Amino acid sequence: MTIVETVLVFVGIPAGIVAVLVFGVYGKTLLHQPNRYRPGKAWTYPPAWYVAHPDALDTHAAPAASVTAVGGASGEW
Amino acid sequence: MSGDVVSSSTQVQHGPVGQVGSGDGAFTTRQLSRLDEALTLSSKESGLEFSVYVGELAAPTRAHAEALFEQLNPISVLLAVSPGQRCLHIVTGDESAKRLPNRACALAALAMRAAFANGDLTGGITIGLRMLADSAGHA
Repeated sequence: MTIVETVLVFVGIPAGIVAVLVFGVYGKTLLHQPNRYRPGKAWTYPPAWYVAHPDALDTHAAPAASVTAVGGASGEW
Repeated sequence: MSGDVVSSSTQVQHGPVGQVGSGDGAFTTRQLSRLDEALTLSSKESGLEFSVYVGELAAPTRAHAEALFEQLNPISVLLAVSPGQRCLHIVTGDESAKRLPNRACALAALAMRAAFANGDLTGGITIGLRMLADSAGHA
């Protein structure tokens, strides 16, 4: 065996096996990075307003002439 | 009814519709369906109309959240979350404040803050909705 063959067999094959294992374990996250929020990271997405599905609401209150905020709470993190 | 609420440059979503699968929205499909389930269940259980706003709030943020609330009903509860500014506001109206005292809102806000500080946006919103619906009780 030449030196090139020795290197290929004893370094190339193990490296290949390791690469396959690494891809099997982390491949999914590497290919599809989930949109994870981290505190302090800028929020670049457009504003979105989520409401309950209208079918779930059985209280279809008529929109009042003027709706004012009465109470609630606030917080920061 | 709250389904008609549209403010400029804000998109209204009923559960996981729209950008499903595209992966470039703020939430993944799985997170959106969790959000939809929490919203629908808590609204159905309590009879209050919950809605969640996620996005930038103009300063002063509390006033912006209250201005958004004015497009809803007196029975609505608005959870406004601005991840970029790291602030959240829970706003109640004439009817919903009778069911949800400020103390209950503050407790829900505390739980949401804890989840948000850990980076769990969907979990925090879900916990907040569940706690608010629990303290409001059944319709």
